[in-house]
Amino acid sequence: MTAAAKIKTWYLVHKWTSLISTLFLLVICVTGLPLVFHHEIEHLLGDGKEVAELPAGTPYASLDRMVAQARSMYPDEVVDYVYLDDEEPQVYVGMAAKPGDGTNTGHAVRMDARTVEVLEDGPTYSSDRFSFMGIMLALHTDLYAGLAGELFLGLMGLLFVIAIVSGVVLYGPFMKKLEFGTVRAERSRRIKWLDLHNLLGIVTLVWAFVVGVTGVVNELSTPLFRLWQANELPALLEPYRDRPVPTVLAPAQQAADAAVAAVPGRELSYMAYPGNAYGSPHHFVVWLRGDTPLTSQLHTPVLVDGVTGQVAKVSEMPWYLTALELSRPLHFGDYAGMPLKILWALLDLATIVVLGSGLYLWVARRRANDARIAELVRRHQAAAQPQRNPA
Amino acid sequence: MSTRSESQARSAGTPGRFLFVWGMPLVLAALSVFGLLAALLGTGVWHWASWLSLGWLLVVIARYWLRPGGR
Repeated sequence: MTAAAKIKTWYLVHKWTSLISTLFLLVICVTGLPLVFHHEIEHLLGDGKEVAELPAGTPYASLDRMVAQARSMYPDEVVDYVYLDDEEPQVYVGMAAKPGDGTNTGHAVRMDARTVEVLEDGPTYSSDRFSFMGIMLALHTDLYAGLAGELFLGLMGLLFVIAIVSGVVLYGPFMKKLEFGTVRAERSRRIKWLDLHNLLGIVTLVWAFVVGVTGVVNELSTPLFRLWQANELPALLEPYRDRPVPTVLAPAQQAADAAVAAVPGRELSYMAYPGNAYGSPHHFVVWLRGDTPLTSQLHTPVLVDGVTGQVAKVSEMPWYLTALELSRPLHFGDYAGMPLKILWALLDLATIVVLGSGLYLWVARRRANDARIAELVRRHQAAAQPQRNPA
Repeated sequence: MSTRSESQARSAGTPGRFLFVWGMPLVLAALSVFGLLAALLGTGVWHWASWLSLGWLLVVIARYWLRPGGR
């Protein structure tokens, strides 16, 4: 291919991947702004209480007390999971009408991890889908269409990533004779926005690429967990085949202690109860986190027998779940305090400008082409006119 | 390009040379990678390093956007 043909091909790739994905990406970028600050906004909007002011190092209560507290509030329901917050001393006990029904009837009771005081009796996730933050999340992740919506937006994210790569390839020929950062404001509006599109695009390149790729990986979380379950569980579940999810369970604290003892240097993060949609029908799946900045993001899953409370297996993290876990902080921007969240929001705004200006450039180019064609038609008509009226 | 002298053509400041186009983007890309990873791998001073390097991207945007021609 000649150089000119190559540029033309890359331009077509850039144009079409952008055109198809831009509207969805704009929605994703706009809804992403409040989602960056979801922790703070939920604090403001929520009617729940804050954790108590207690001396640092006050020990956590037993998990059994937390679970008993939630069960006393919902005696007809089952525990779905227990999640220990890694930022504040609080715990979420997930409840559901029956085992594995978290997506339909699930809700969580938030409590102080030291006093077991109930801080918030949360709404069901399905009704929370229509709160302000619920709407933002749905528009950002699945458009209220479940897995199909996740995969669709994942595909849009993939097109965005291809648009970024093709945009970088086109940056070369565009900037061949222009100094970095040139903004020809004195020329036409279209030229000015072309320069700004190139400038903001190339400056935010790595950030947008990383957030794009990690966004796609996050959209794949459901199939990735299913893959892990399919690889990990069948052999362990063989002895329990055709048996229902056990209802008389080992105490939560005993199961957690067994898991922590099996993997030194790690602490409890999340415990999926038997029957949990992302867990095992017979085991507690206890996710342990490390204590360094990096390993706090990387978990080790330990399967603990739901009835006996004995460790059944310390699971190896497959590469795709490690990729998924690393994709969370790198997508959410929540791993270095408020300054990083603000930077995330500003870089998101810059990306909105890149998307908007890209759309404008396409419209303006079409308009310029239309005008050129109209001009050609006019000239042809003008040339034809005298012949038709010889007198 | 053939009309330019050898010495000019070799410098990054000459239109058409690789680093003339890609020098600054490469620096900013390296800064971004460092900024994204520093806060993931460390705490304390590494968080500051992360904030400053990612913040620099926004400074670059503001500088060229708000003062076009002000080089």
